[in-house]
Amino acid sequence: MKHLMPITLRVNGEIHELLVPPWRTLLEVLREMIGLTGAKRSCQEGQCGACSVLVDGRSVNSCLYLAVEAQDKDIRTVEGLMQEGVLDQIQKSFVQKGAIQCGFCTPGFVVATTSLLNENPEPSEDEIRHAMVGHLCRCTGYVQIVEAIQDAAGQLKQQRGG
Amino acid sequence: MNSPVRNTFDVVGQPTPKKDGIPKACGQAEYADDLSMPGMLHGKLLRCPHAHARIVRIDTTRAKALPGVRAVITGADFPGVRYGNLPQTRDYLPLALDVVRYIGEEVAAVAAVDEDTAEEALDLIDVEYEPLPAVFDPDEAMKPGAPLVHDKVANNISAKTAFEFGKVDEAFTRADYVREDVYETQPVKQGMLEPHACIGLWDATGKVSLWSCKMSPYVVWRQLAMGLGLELRNVRVVQTVVGGGFSGGKQEAMPMDFCAVMLSKKTGRPVKIVHTMDEVLTIGHMRHPMKIWLRTATDKSGRILAQHCKMVANGGAYSSIGGFSMYLAGAMLNIPYRIPNLRYEAYRVYTNNGFCGALRGHTNTQICFARDSQLELIAVDLGIDPIDIRHRNALQPGDVTANGFRIGTFAFDECIDRVVQLSGWREKRGRLPKYRGIGFGCGSHISGARLMGHSASAAEIRIQEDGTVHLTTGSTDVGQGADTVLSMIAAEVLGVSVDDVRYIRVDSDSTPVDPGTFGSRVTFFTGNAVKRAAEDARRQLAMIAAERLGANPDDLVFRNREIVNRHDDRQRISLKEAVRWGAFQTGRLIISHGTYAAGDEKIDFRTGHGNLSPAYNPSACAVEVEVDPDTGQVKIVGFWGADDSGFPINPMGVKGQVIGATVMSFGHALFETLIRIDGKVMNPSFRDYKMPLMTDIPRLANFRHDNVITFEPEGPFGAKEAGQGAGTGVIAALANAIYDATGARLNCLPMSPDRILFALRQKEESAGAPSEVAAE
Amino acid sequence: MSYLRRLPRFEYLAPRTIAEACGLLAAHHDRAELLAGGTDLLMQMRRRETTPAYLIGLKGVTELSGVRKLDDGNVFIGAMTTLHTILSSPVLRSHYDVLAKAAAGIGGPELRNVATVGGNIAGALPCADLPPALMTLGAKVRLASSSGERILPLEDFFPSFGVTAARPDELLTGIELPSVPLSSGGIYLKFHDRQSMDMTTVGVSAFVTLEQDGGSFRDVKIAVASGAPVPLRLRKAEAVLCGRTFAEEALEEAALAVCEEANPRSSWRATRDYRFALLKNLTKRAIRGARENAASRTGDLS
Repeated sequence: MKHLMPITLRVNGEIHELLVPPWRTLLEVLREMIGLTGAKRSCQEGQCGACSVLVDGRSVNSCLYLAVEAQDKDIRTVEGLMQEGVLDQIQKSFVQKGAIQCGFCTPGFVVATTSLLNENPEPSEDEIRHAMVGHLCRCTGYVQIVEAIQDAAGQLKQQRGG
Repeated sequence: MNSPVRNTFDVVGQPTPKKDGIPKACGQAEYADDLSMPGMLHGKLLRCPHAHARIVRIDTTRAKALPGVRAVITGADFPGVRYGNLPQTRDYLPLALDVVRYIGEEVAAVAAVDEDTAEEALDLIDVEYEPLPAVFDPDEAMKPGAPLVHDKVANNISAKTAFEFGKVDEAFTRADYVREDVYETQPVKQGMLEPHACIGLWDATGKVSLWSCKMSPYVVWRQLAMGLGLELRNVRVVQTVVGGGFSGGKQEAMPMDFCAVMLSKKTGRPVKIVHTMDEVLTIGHMRHPMKIWLRTATDKSGRILAQHCKMVANGGAYSSIGGFSMYLAGAMLNIPYRIPNLRYEAYRVYTNNGFCGALRGHTNTQICFARDSQLELIAVDLGIDPIDIRHRNALQPGDVTANGFRIGTFAFDECIDRVVQLSGWREKRGRLPKYRGIGFGCGSHISGARLMGHSASAAEIRIQEDGTVHLTTGSTDVGQGADTVLSMIAAEVLGVSVDDVRYIRVDSDSTPVDPGTFGSRVTFFTGNAVKRAAEDARRQLAMIAAERLGANPDDLVFRNREIVNRHDDRQRISLKEAVRWGAFQTGRLIISHGTYAAGDEKIDFRTGHGNLSPAYNPSACAVEVEVDPDTGQVKIVGFWGADDSGFPINPMGVKGQVIGATVMSFGHALFETLIRIDGKVMNPSFRDYKMPLMTDIPRLANFRHDNVITFEPEGPFGAKEAGQGAGTGVIAALANAIYDATGARLNCLPMSPDRILFALRQKEESAGAPSEVAAE
Repeated sequence: MSYLRRLPRFEYLAPRTIAEACGLLAAHHDRAELLAGGTDLLMQMRRRETTPAYLIGLKGVTELSGVRKLDDGNVFIGAMTTLHTILSSPVLRSHYDVLAKAAAGIGGPELRNVATVGGNIAGALPCADLPPALMTLGAKVRLASSSGERILPLEDFFPSFGVTAARPDELLTGIELPSVPLSSGGIYLKFHDRQSMDMTTVGVSAFVTLEQDGGSFRDVKIAVASGAPVPLRLRKAEAVLCGRTFAEEALEEAALAVCEEANPRSSWRATRDYRFALLKNLTKRAIRGARENAASRTGDLS
């Protein structure tokens, strides 16, 4: 028990006071202690992006991030994008544009897209591709994912009145 | 009940988002690793470090003594019954008993309070091995005196297939032209993002339950029963949301599944086991690496007179579905071109490597690579346009192939022409700058297969009083979109929206038994069963509505959630009202079923003769590449494909499937290979087992796929398969494009940059003559 | 033989200042590892290649992060500066863009948001992309310990494979870059199979300073990744070009000199032969590219 460290994590706007061993990754704590299983255990070495979450607005691989280092950060997972049962635009675009097949890579892509569009609301096709290289998809061949991201950017622009 | 044939549809044919997209986009879809049960323990598997060894002794004392460990098991904890995919070659055990045959094979398992403890416990299991001589190369393995991977299997021949149709020798003798080439393909992994995961439970009544990401839950059900020595009634397999499969371990019972349930028996708790990705990439389940000798005879117009193909596949340590794989490769030589005379011999060889089985496209992909690569060179030698030579040899609807495939719809010529048009082939070919090239490739696939054993599908429908249609089948959605397609079929027949249909995941306790998801069978076989079930439900409802309305049931049309008399539209009732009235007033519930078995035909797998599938799909594609002569790197700058998948029930789903298959083939062609040295996998990681990323595909404007729409009468609403045929022509197209760009011919996969650079160098040195890199 | 595991047990220490970090290193260095971004170290730990009793986490030492101009015109990059900060830093993009671009080409956004320049250097991997780019910029490393500070040129920081010149109780605090001369420019070219994400098969960085007439090289610096057991500056090739007019034969000679000096390994990832071929071709391209960048440059830091 002596190895447990008290930390406070702010996840999707909620405060969680936890006692965690320092060797727990953020991914493990999210999935196993907080019950947010949207971020996935896949390659666990930073190659596939299925575990991506936003830390202070930036997409990181939570499998390579210690939970104890997430103290005082704002963490957002895929579950935190939906508001009161309503999907956000990126989620809607992914659903409507056929970007989802087996869905295992989807939370990671959606999180990365959130980060991208926050930083660059009107990305070119090349900018989209380069922003998504940390994410593998074996099912879709990526085309409909690009189209979903472009759709989301376009819809968000319209909603801003742009 | 007769209903008029409609040419326009309300549901099928419309691009429809996947039914389970919303939970997936919100992180709420429940994959096996997301599940948790009270009191659940965590399991880990111990894997052997030797390519071939006798297990002398396993001592689990220290592991069992580690605090937090609740059980440790070995092969001796199982009944010792072997199971497998084909009745003649059952050589799998849940855990190795006396011998281990490849690095990574499972020898023990632990259940503990958490994964950390389970991992530590593995270190404390003492296994004494006596290493045995091992063999890794199939040619070496077939030689007399080679170490035997399985006792009593002479020369390590796992499977041998030979068939002959027509008069092959005669055809070669009278041919104007004969060409022979050798091709080599590499071990390729499924590469799905979700590693295998399961939860096993052995409950107090002696019933075993397994929750897992299985593509063919009933195959697992039977294998579990066999391997555990249980009756089927005491085994339950529940399919969780599948995070990609592409065949392999998700198609069958794996050691993890057996161990999870046995550990549960020992501990009285549910046990979860999840593979790490390096485990996934180390174990068996991959595409057969093959050496393919292909000898082809043509007349001077390039018409194929005969082919002789000899193939040696490195099957790895166990049989898997290998016997069928060997048959299939030869069978697929018969499509999409007319081959009037064919001789095929295949050997699947045991080696001390991870075992091989099916993987998207099965052995068809390798064969298409060889065949369409060679066709290009035949065209060059004979001075024939590469498009013309394909047209000249194309199978036509109504043909019967030498091995007995009866070709129904098969718009191959149209697919070829569509690709020529889409890609700008005529403007580009021969006119591109140096190191830029365009190549053509064709392939084809089946729409499900008539296999030995259980091939049929069934569907059940219950319509609830609110008009919801509950649809159950035994087929799994693994991301390919079966849930949506099958729901669309039911919705179309019943005149409701696809959102009104609830597609229930497979649970062997409550869904109809089914072969599973493989061989592109679901849309066709299960789709037909669903259509029949829906038609029966409609018939039942029509009777009820007819009574209620005082109409003739044959006059009733189902549309927009209503049942209307086509002769008098004042006579109408909502579908849900009809259901309620039927149930409440007359005690009739709407429960229906349908089955589909593609007829009584049987394939003679010994001679290779028989009509394997009720329908066949041709595909064609062109790829444009830019090769960097300083590095050998290939950039894919354009891709244009066209397939005849019959009538696309869900065009959005078809697009995702064909592009997915295409990009997978990009990977197989250029980047992917499992590197094994003395049986050890050197690159069991996504860092070094390189699958295509978003930056590896062409720009969207140059990445096009078209459906050539036909109407296959045997398919539901005219549909055929989509998603496996599409990838089969891609690899040859890339090889042909690289050849067009550089003059270098690569016959060995993957066509990696170093090989291309080497081939370019050789070409320069031999001053102008095209070089061929036949082997490593 | 171990498959990927959960992280091993360790105690996590979180210093707030460089001095604190040095103190912890002094106390525990034989049983501690410094945790920068974690993308390499945590994987090594997962594979049980290293199992330190202590991890000294540096994310809280804010003075280790950031890009700043020094009074003498040099630029200092703190060791904990992320690759993302480097690729987006206006100072680095305008005057040291070979470095910004080298950082932009490493991995993907998720990696670059946490991986640090210090980690990329201290890891001593021959395939690391920043050391060659930094070497061609004339970078120096700053090291601190409880007993003081020292600076050494980056090319002296890698004595042999997998090892740095830092003492066990020393902390890499950052990189100092000299101001960039007029008419200079650099490029980092690397090769790998896919278009993104891969480990570098071979990388060549070139930084050239042109004479006023623009035709010849006043100074050339060339360094390689995965060209040797360590990130290596290739002085023989540099010597071939220094003072010479730009011409194809000079490039050929330089490329051949690179192959003489480099010592790439053969591995299942790539053969020595192939790496030599890449080195040769990429060196020529890199010189050409660096020269073009130099020719378009208008001024130095002011």
